[in-house]
Amino acid sequence: MRKSTIKLGFVLLAAFTLVAAACSKSKSGGGGGGTAASTPAATGMCATVDQNGTDLLAAVCRAGVLRVATDPAYPPQSSYDETTGTWQGFDIDVATDIAKRLGVQVKWVTPAWDVITAGHWSGRWDLSVGSMTITAERAQVLDFSTPYYYTPAGIAVQKGSPITSFDQLSGKSIGVCGACTYEYYLERKLDIPGYTPTYVIPQDVKIVTYDTDSTAIQDLVLGRLDAVMSAVPTLQAAIDKGKPIQLLGDPVFYEPLAAAADKSAPEDPTSFIQAVSDIITQMHQDGTLTQLSMKWYKTDLTVNPLG
Amino acid sequence: MTGNQAVVRVENLHKSFGELEVVRGVSMEVHQGEVVVMFGRSGAGKSTVLRCINFLEDPTSGWVEVDGIRLTGGHRTRAKREQIRQLRIRTGMVFQSFNLFPHMTALENVIEGPVTVKGMAPEPAKELGMRLLERVGLADKAEEYPIRLSGGQQQRVAIARALAMEPKVMLFDEPTSALDPELIGEVLAVMRDLAMGGMTMIVVTHEMGFAREVAHRMLFFNDGIILEEGTPKEIFENTRHVETRKFLDAVL
Amino acid sequence: MGAETARPPGLEPRRHPFWDRVEAIGLRIPYTVKLVAVWVALFLVLALAFAGAHFDTAWMRANAWFIIRGVWVTVFIAVVSIIFSIILALLGALGRLSKNPVPYGLAGFYTSFFRGTPLIVQLYLWYLGLAQIGVNLGGVWKTYFVLSAVQAGILGLSLNYGAYMTEIFRAGIQSVPHGQSEAAEALGMTYRQRMRRVVLPQAFRVIVPPTGNEFIAMMKDTALVSLLGTSIAWADPFRRATLLGRADFRSLEALVVAAVMYWVLTGVFSFFQRKLENRLAKGYVRTSGAPAPKDRRPRFLPGSAGGGQGGGGMMVEIPEPDTGREAPPG
Repeated sequence: MRKSTIKLGFVLLAAFTLVAAACSKSKSGGGGGGTAASTPAATGMCATVDQNGTDLLAAVCRAGVLRVATDPAYPPQSSYDETTGTWQGFDIDVATDIAKRLGVQVKWVTPAWDVITAGHWSGRWDLSVGSMTITAERAQVLDFSTPYYYTPAGIAVQKGSPITSFDQLSGKSIGVCGACTYEYYLERKLDIPGYTPTYVIPQDVKIVTYDTDSTAIQDLVLGRLDAVMSAVPTLQAAIDKGKPIQLLGDPVFYEPLAAAADKSAPEDPTSFIQAVSDIITQMHQDGTLTQLSMKWYKTDLTVNPLG
Repeated sequence: MTGNQAVVRVENLHKSFGELEVVRGVSMEVHQGEVVVMFGRSGAGKSTVLRCINFLEDPTSGWVEVDGIRLTGGHRTRAKREQIRQLRIRTGMVFQSFNLFPHMTALENVIEGPVTVKGMAPEPAKELGMRLLERVGLADKAEEYPIRLSGGQQQRVAIARALAMEPKVMLFDEPTSALDPELIGEVLAVMRDLAMGGMTMIVVTHEMGFAREVAHRMLFFNDGIILEEGTPKEIFENTRHVETRKFLDAVL
Repeated sequence: MGAETARPPGLEPRRHPFWDRVEAIGLRIPYTVKLVAVWVALFLVLALAFAGAHFDTAWMRANAWFIIRGVWVTVFIAVVSIIFSIILALLGALGRLSKNPVPYGLAGFYTSFFRGTPLIVQLYLWYLGLAQIGVNLGGVWKTYFVLSAVQAGILGLSLNYGAYMTEIFRAGIQSVPHGQSEAAEALGMTYRQRMRRVVLPQAFRVIVPPTGNEFIAMMKDTALVSLLGTSIAWADPFRRATLLGRADFRSLEALVVAAVMYWVLTGVFSFFQRKLENRLAKGYVRTSGAPAPKDRRPRFLPGSAGGGQGGGGMMVEIPEPDTGREAPPG
């Protein structure tokens, strides 16, 4: 009967899709696009770790895999090249190196940014290496490592804009990514431990929030905004891609960017983030970070501008 | 064969729909091989009594007995639902609006009961179905869907469907009322044939000609009770009640 | 016609010579040509808008394949979710039709909650909320409650659409004439047999068109799953478009490509849905003889209601929510 063949078709389709799902399923927050192989050079730090421990460091070493949250579309910090199927960027290289020095493989995970900054990762991934600014608020839910670089935050306006100084921004609209430090800076609520920013932007600017810097920059180009505030490397990347915008003045503050672990992780992350911090300090000392910074930013952003 | 066995017994049946009491104390007995015709005005309660017999309606009070299974109305527990089901397996019903299953062919309609309810194997069921369709004169329409059959043909298939369950009694609820006049005859012919074969039948109908020819007993319903009962000869020629006469005059 | 008596105002025959001329010319053009012309005109309008926006078409061509490739994720999530939704909708409908307060109450709560809260909120509840419960409970709960984005998406879509489709299924079941149930009961069928053999097969025909629409709508709602943060391997066209658009500051071009992809996808499934509806129409429509002379609509163009309504004769009354367009007069 015709009807039963239709039914059979549906059942087969369902069975097929379920099987396909089971084969490619992954329980972590979305699964990784691919693992970056790390050549096990010298014995990593995991060699000295008690693998039977109950803390996060032991768990990572036992698993032999470091799950890192990263943004698939945030060049030059992190991006996914679909033609080669590889991950590229400053953050990518830093995280890969951290994993290598630990002695484990890297697995990339791509959750939404606000999910990362909110903490409570439910054990879906171990570490965030995503150019995250250390703020007091975030420190309530995340454990930060030593900063691995410092990025200047700056303002951009349209090319040929009549605005040539910060005072002229009074009453104008500025676009920022939501829940970013730039938003807090404009609201004069920026709370970076150990750093008091000087507020040079007029308080009466109209703050417009976006899901991401890129959308804000596109609106600036369209003329819906008078200015955008973001990380200088991001603004520079837009300029390099031909967007008709220009930087306005000097950077307004410097943000320390660090790796982060989840305070409420199922396994205690204290020793883990300490190990990561030690590795980052090492990377500062042996020049690795400077090298990577020069590669991706053509300038050394890893030196603490505050001394 | 014990010809005097009561296949169906109804005792002091009452049925109310909300405030309205439609059946107000009906008692009757139908014996094996009997053809009983229930007639009367619309709303007199005859269809309701018929539908109480196989519990498509739930009696407000009184009891119904079919083939030894005696049940009253009221809350249907799981056990009672099964008893009702057993009772229904022993009755066959033919509806005014045929109610054939439109997504099945005529043959599939007929064998649906034996296969699904009695667990009969498909092959013997098909043989049974074809025999029954032949009996009602529709063997050549076995693979047709109801939509392609005339009303009279559909009703004959419905009769075959009910017969497939080999019931102890056949219940007919105004089987020809929804048919065009020229199609009534073929259905009545099948019913007459059934009666001649000794089937126990309870028929609600306005077809007085059929009643006169085929019925053993006729029950006149008026206002929720059986006002008069008797053989067709008695009813037509020696009518006792004025209401009965009035009705017969109006219909004939 | 009639004597030249004075007529009250308003009864004067209205004359519109211009429109009469237009209609006369229109009558000579075949229906198909007119229909195609409408679509062509609309596409021309779109093309003009497209040209006016000055899209970076080179970028679009270079990246279109990457964006389009994600369509298998859309189909996969939608198919799996609709299957679960159908099961939930059937249970929900039977619950809403039940006289037993337990299933009735359960089904009522289910439909109320999942229709009353936004889908995106529900998705986050499954992805974040459930995970948090799992972590707090620890042990095996942690393994099963911390879902991936795709798993949370399927769960959320299934529950959400199941609630909406409960009404569709309920209406479909109730559309089967009561006499059918009675005939089945009179044969001695149990509730389950009655449903399976008689009621649901007939309800099926009424349920399929709106269910098909739900499936097509769901395919677009799957885009919300990417907001939970799917991996590259499981990125659908919307996610791919937002990622590429963000990286290259070409969000609009990327999203236009994704939009076209979804449009084509829904078009393909609409076509298959119409075929299924026509196949289900057997047993309800006389197929003998040619189609009624008025029904000149061609069967192969998008948007035209499929055949299956041709022929005179008896037809069971079935409500046709979307495809029940009448044949054009004349």
